[in-house]
Amino acid sequence: MKKLIERGRRYRYWDFVKIPMSVAPAETVLRLINVVTMALMPVLQTLTIAEFVDTALLIFGGDTSKSIWKPLILLVLITAYTVLAGHLSQFMNLRIEIKLNREYRVQMVEKRARLAYTHVENNETWDLVSRVCEDPAQQIRNGMNNIVSATDILVRVFSLLIVLVGQVWWAGLAIVGISLPLFALAIKAGKSNYQADVEAKKYNRRAKYLRGVLQGRDNVEERAMFGYTGAVNQKWRESYEKWRTIHLKTEALYFVKMKGASLITVLLSLLIISILLLPLSQGLITVGMFMGLVTNTLNLIQMMSWQLAWTMSELAKNREYLKDLSTFADLEETDGALELPSEEKVPFETIDFINVSFAYPGTETYILKNLNLHLEKGRHYAFVGVNGAGKTTLTKLLTGLYDNYEGEILINGISLRKYSQAQLKSLFSVVYQDFAKYSVSVRENIQLGDVLVQNDDRVQEILEQIGLEMDLDTNLGKIRADGTDFSGGQWQRLAIARSLYSNAAIRILDEPTAALDPVAESEVYEMFGRISAGQSTIFITHRLGAARLADQIIVLDDGRVAEQGSHEELIGLEGIYAQMFEAQRSWYQ
Amino acid sequence: MKKYGLIAICRHGFAEKFKATPILMVIDLILGILHGLSFGVETMMQQRFFDKATQMMSGSATLGMAFGALAMLGLANVACQILNGVSNYMPNITNGKISGELSRKMNEKIGRLAPEIFENTQCLDDINKAEKGKSSVMNVADTMMSIMIFYVPYFGFMGWYLFTMKPILILALVLIFIPKALTQILRTKVFTKAEDESAPIRREYEYYENCIADREYFKETRLLGGFMFFKKLYTQVLDAMQKLRYKASVKANMTEFLMSLLTVAGYVGIIWLLFDSLMKGDISVGAFAAVFNSLGLMYNIMDEVICRHIGGVAETIGATQNYMRFMDMPERTGSASQTPEWGDIELSHVSFAYPGASECAVKDVSFTLKKGETLAVVGENGSGKSTLIRLLSGLYAPTAGQVLHNGVETTKLSASALFAGTSAVFQKYQRYQMSLAENISISRTEKKWDEAVLGDVSQMAGLDVEVRTFTNGYDTMLSREFDGVDLSGGQWQRVAIARGFFRDHNLIILDEPTAAIDPYEETRIYNRFAQMAKDKSALIVTHRLGSVKLADRILVMKDGQAVQLGTHEELIAEDGEYRRLYEAQEQWYE
Repeated sequence: MKKLIERGRRYRYWDFVKIPMSVAPAETVLRLINVVTMALMPVLQTLTIAEFVDTALLIFGGDTSKSIWKPLILLVLITAYTVLAGHLSQFMNLRIEIKLNREYRVQMVEKRARLAYTHVENNETWDLVSRVCEDPAQQIRNGMNNIVSATDILVRVFSLLIVLVGQVWWAGLAIVGISLPLFALAIKAGKSNYQADVEAKKYNRRAKYLRGVLQGRDNVEERAMFGYTGAVNQKWRESYEKWRTIHLKTEALYFVKMKGASLITVLLSLLIISILLLPLSQGLITVGMFMGLVTNTLNLIQMMSWQLAWTMSELAKNREYLKDLSTFADLEETDGALELPSEEKVPFETIDFINVSFAYPGTETYILKNLNLHLEKGRHYAFVGVNGAGKTTLTKLLTGLYDNYEGEILINGISLRKYSQAQLKSLFSVVYQDFAKYSVSVRENIQLGDVLVQNDDRVQEILEQIGLEMDLDTNLGKIRADGTDFSGGQWQRLAIARSLYSNAAIRILDEPTAALDPVAESEVYEMFGRISAGQSTIFITHRLGAARLADQIIVLDDGRVAEQGSHEELIGLEGIYAQMFEAQRSWYQ
Repeated sequence: MKKYGLIAICRHGFAEKFKATPILMVIDLILGILHGLSFGVETMMQQRFFDKATQMMSGSATLGMAFGALAMLGLANVACQILNGVSNYMPNITNGKISGELSRKMNEKIGRLAPEIFENTQCLDDINKAEKGKSSVMNVADTMMSIMIFYVPYFGFMGWYLFTMKPILILALVLIFIPKALTQILRTKVFTKAEDESAPIRREYEYYENCIADREYFKETRLLGGFMFFKKLYTQVLDAMQKLRYKASVKANMTEFLMSLLTVAGYVGIIWLLFDSLMKGDISVGAFAAVFNSLGLMYNIMDEVICRHIGGVAETIGATQNYMRFMDMPERTGSASQTPEWGDIELSHVSFAYPGASECAVKDVSFTLKKGETLAVVGENGSGKSTLIRLLSGLYAPTAGQVLHNGVETTKLSASALFAGTSAVFQKYQRYQMSLAENISISRTEKKWDEAVLGDVSQMAGLDVEVRTFTNGYDTMLSREFDGVDLSGGQWQRVAIARGFFRDHNLIILDEPTAAIDPYEETRIYNRFAQMAKDKSALIVTHRLGSVKLADRILVMKDGQAVQLGTHEELIAEDGEYRRLYEAQEQWYE
């Protein structure tokens, strides 16, 4: 398969043809040939009408030497071709789109999956990604249609000009001389200035947000009790009206320019026709040719009135897409992101953080500051600390989502950066706070925990352990037709089952139970600890009741390890942990 | 489910349009008619010009006359282009205005809906899709209008023009219409069927794509090494989808191709009619050329009206349903505007079932919240605590039983009267992307305030409006997206508490947050809750049994029922749910 998304490639207009060409060469060529032949039809029609009218006039004059049937049949054939060839274009378009979906879209998805994780958490790049990846086949087709439409205009105009020059060379040349600058002007005027106004966009965003406040479900309680609909509606109205006024102005400008262009075309055509009246009156061209040329010119006005302006404004939009696409293709990737976990099990002995500091890309605040930490095989650890102390960040570093940290992280004494993605994948299993709820079958959901092994017996055993016995073929979620809905608690247990199925050396539980009350949470952690007895686990929690289950509690504070030890040791220290425990205890006893 | 027909939709659409901008609509109407006629006039002028040119050649007209006719043709062309521009631009003005007006009404309507409607998935779906439905309603109305004011005049004019030339020529319109109409009927059948078949598959493949690379699944799928797994599913479904589309489209294209042959036959028929009339000397060569030339335009316009507009209406009618249903949703009915005096709140045999749920979330609960009393509600997740406070405050109307505020039923009161003396800090308190002042004062927008008032409530909430975070004081915008600042979770919580304080109240509802909060913040929140409850009637929902020290009495919920009510000492002495909960918590914090 040809690589369509390459780092460092700058995508240009030509790529709108090149990309379809590489996935569907025959269809693309046919489509291009078709547009040219179709664009030549009007001029053919002109010549045929000329022939027909002249013959008809001869017949009226009593001269029957020429047959009227030939041009009449030709007229019919041209009309038929114009009607029918449209279908060929449509059909080619569809085939191209299907092939683009199979190759181009799939490559776009793969590129997304390979992205360095930092781009996923960065709103700006993620916006770009969403923009570029929205129906990408359609976007390429739009670009191609744009080129097709421009070709259509060019061929139609030039073929008409050639016939003009051929008929009365001086009139033709005069027309070319006058029309070229006028035509250039028309193109320039028709060129859309659709770069959406920053100001208008701001108001529009504001209005959209306020509508969310007025209509959203999340705030229905406050909205009803506080009764602020009237006041917020007023604010919304103001933003909306501001947006509307600016938007109207931009639109008006667009219309004036566009219609200005068509008016210029109208004037130009009138000029062409008046110039042609002279050779007509001198008998230099026939009445038929005159009528043919006039109808062709007038049709051109109709076409130009929208197609030219539309082509120009699309041109600008498509150029934006190319810019986005180039940026997207060049986004950093994580090597080995798509690999399976390594088949060879990576043993785990120790993890060491040595003077690790870390700030999220694009921010200046350090989340981890000179952190030092030592973890060993076969123990249960709990990371505790106030919000923002860096608990979750630690797991993101360990699992290789971010690697721009300062200092050194050693796994079994070897730098984490030396491990491949595949090895890290087989080393860690994480149940995140926002764990994934895959709308696939129960079996698939759990076996995703270890994609290398399909063992139904083991799945059954785990389901029994966590009290979620059910048919493995049950489809979950709303995607598949027979999907069943799970409650929040059931999904949670399923996520834990997935982790238990995993063969990973270290299991991490990153507060998947935050929405539960403390007792329920503690029970989940206890169950997990019991099943993972003898294995290495890390619990992350802000509820200290659950933390007591661990052999070692690590208290993070302001990006450092503040305290470390067993529950009893830490209570004995009378430090942060003891204070936090006391504070929390007072609310539960 | 109620279905709204085309007539009902149009009636609603027209009425709203005319109500919003009567004058613009009339102008729109007139311009539309002129625009439609201008296309016809242009064809006529073309014929006149050709006739003059032919006559000039035979000597019966002068060059000047030919130029005159050309000038008329030019004028018609210019008029046509200008009318085209203006009447295409007009909808920008009218629709923007109408759309704004309709949105305003929708916003108000939503404000008047009963909050429990948001728990009904069908209604929620209607609400969420009403915006799109609104555009569709306007679209349908627009289309019907443009058919009346543009297409009918155009074809009317052309019919008259052809008829006056030679009556039989009016057949041309019929020959254009029949194949197009047939095509559209067949197309709808073939396409709707294909769309019905492919929609679930499309959803499935888009879903797998998300599993591979959407934010929601990204890190987990990566760490699991799930790429290959999902890619396999993805490409399988994608292939199936494309095959289906291909098949459907070959079929549709074949049908259309056959229909096009019909169109071609129609063309041939018209050309023959014209040719015959020409040869018989009934029409001039100029008329032949002009009419022949306008055939393409007539086909295009017919195609536009039948395939794009009428076909489009058929497609969008589905989308209009959400909006129409939404506009017909019942609103909160209470109307008494007299706020009852501050007094006891009594629940008598109150039950409540969420829409569509077979079981009651709250079952037969009776108790009285005495004037000035602080009552704590405890219970496990899902025991009905949050539902209970919504019933007590009057946000929800009970399915059975009564909630009486000082003897007046909550359902009989208008929203403003009911909530006049009530404030709250909800579990899902809102983080409004507005200024700090707006964030606080939104709890009572009609109340006059100055910085001193805001200062007082902020202080009570423990919100330190320091200049490092709040660079603009109370005018600081609390949102990165709108060029403001980001607050931490703790700061937001305090803003929400300040909001609760700002609203003068006799009754306050305090629903504890379940989101991750560290122990220190937790302590602070409870202290502030205690302060808010002082001297007022208060209801505190909590799962931290230690915090019931704040309360005069405790209500224990289990499976939607109120199982115990009393002081801590009384309840701990009983062998019941309270003691069970208490012991379960205690063991973790010994």
